[in-house]
Amino acid sequence: MIEILSVLGPTSVQDLGRFDQYRFGVGTSGAMDDVALRAGNILLANDENAAGIEIPMTPFKLRFCRNMAFALTGAEVEAEIGGRTIPPWWRSQARAGDTLSLKAMPRGARCYLTVSGGIDVPAVLGSRSTQFRGEFGGLHGRPLQPGDMLPCAAPDPPAGIGELGIEPADIVLARPNAVADDITVRVVIAGEYDAFDGATQKLFWRSSWKITPQSNRYGYRLQGPAVKPASPIEKRSHGIVPGVIQIPPNGQPIIQMRDAQTSGGYPKIATVIRADLWRVGQARLGSRLRFEQTAYPDALAAETDISAYLDRLRTNVRLLEELRRCR
Amino acid sequence: MPIDASHIERLARLLEIYGVASIEIEDKDQSLKLVVETGASSPAPAAASSPRQDPHVVATADVAGHFLAGHPWRTKPFVEPGQQIHAGAIVGLVKVGLIYAPVLSPAEGILDAVLAETGAMVGYGTPIARIRPLVEACST
Repeated sequence: MIEILSVLGPTSVQDLGRFDQYRFGVGTSGAMDDVALRAGNILLANDENAAGIEIPMTPFKLRFCRNMAFALTGAEVEAEIGGRTIPPWWRSQARAGDTLSLKAMPRGARCYLTVSGGIDVPAVLGSRSTQFRGEFGGLHGRPLQPGDMLPCAAPDPPAGIGELGIEPADIVLARPNAVADDITVRVVIAGEYDAFDGATQKLFWRSSWKITPQSNRYGYRLQGPAVKPASPIEKRSHGIVPGVIQIPPNGQPIIQMRDAQTSGGYPKIATVIRADLWRVGQARLGSRLRFEQTAYPDALAAETDISAYLDRLRTNVRLLEELRRCR
Repeated sequence: MPIDASHIERLARLLEIYGVASIEIEDKDQSLKLVVETGASSPAPAAASSPRQDPHVVATADVAGHFLAGHPWRTKPFVEPGQQIHAGAIVGLVKVGLIYAPVLSPAEGILDAVLAETGAMVGYGTPIARIRPLVEACST
């Protein structure tokens, strides 16, 4: 068991998401930075879909009620347990009664705590992810609160599981940003792109878009020059997925994120490619995004880069464990 | 074919497993020398040392790779000379492939010096930091 002691903001239990329920109008939910969740699970030799805790704000504090291995990945946090500092993207051991404190988050927007065996809440519709809108999944379908007790599937940590760090994804998968401090994400053009005239399309590509405080797991509302179609578009609601960039009547783009509804009617100008959606998930409120047009084959190739990173992680972690066992 | 960190890790592992002391590989535009250090990997606590013995204990690398005094995301090193550290404190990292293997202090004490430089290639058993155990530091 893990006991939540203090929490700020919508902290939730998430796995990689719920992917078979779209036809019933149930969105994916799941970790906003799925690469970080997978990496944490790789560090612990868990199933990569094991549920962890997504922590969007600090301070955050919890108590381990038994000995277990845990990992912190995703955003950089200043973390302490039992008087020890835990570096970023790190695996360590907790003893029964230890308190883990996350004090500040100087980089990134969401930290992931994974534990050996995973957070063992019941799977609902095939996933342990919290579905806020439907109030199911995770722990009682809601954000975590002080006093919550989270069941863990953690076996007693094997003797061989020691302190270990891994190279953060955003070092390995770093991309050149067109402008310092702006995060460039790759997008493919979407269904209504041609309804915007050439000058407006250029404006969309050239602008730096500020992430407003009205941004969360449902979607990111961006602020910049108004981008409006040549003539108003009224569409019936139709299927949308995380990453879709909609243009509402005010011309300020919305990027749909993991808790997005499964349908919407606003015109779609572009879609953030799946391989860059985690970068958006780690973009902080007030930071700026730029969009770079990419072709569908390149969007698929970008997924290969992420797979290659995760494959190397698996191999490297396994090799090191073998090496330590050889001694 | 370029030699990358994963090759180095694999080679280092093979050297250790088969008891080979060192290996040198030269390509047309790069060369690599791996030396397996055979220094004591877990120094004995200095509590029972005689006055003539060096009172220090040494933290050593347990894998071959490149040394990092601090995490790449952070400007400050893990530890600085003069700092009091506990047994098991991280005194640096060895980067091999995507792994950051911690180098841990074998005893509680005062950090005397970090002996390795960031970016330097280190091997199994390479001395990384010198620590004056607290019991010794208190008794002098």
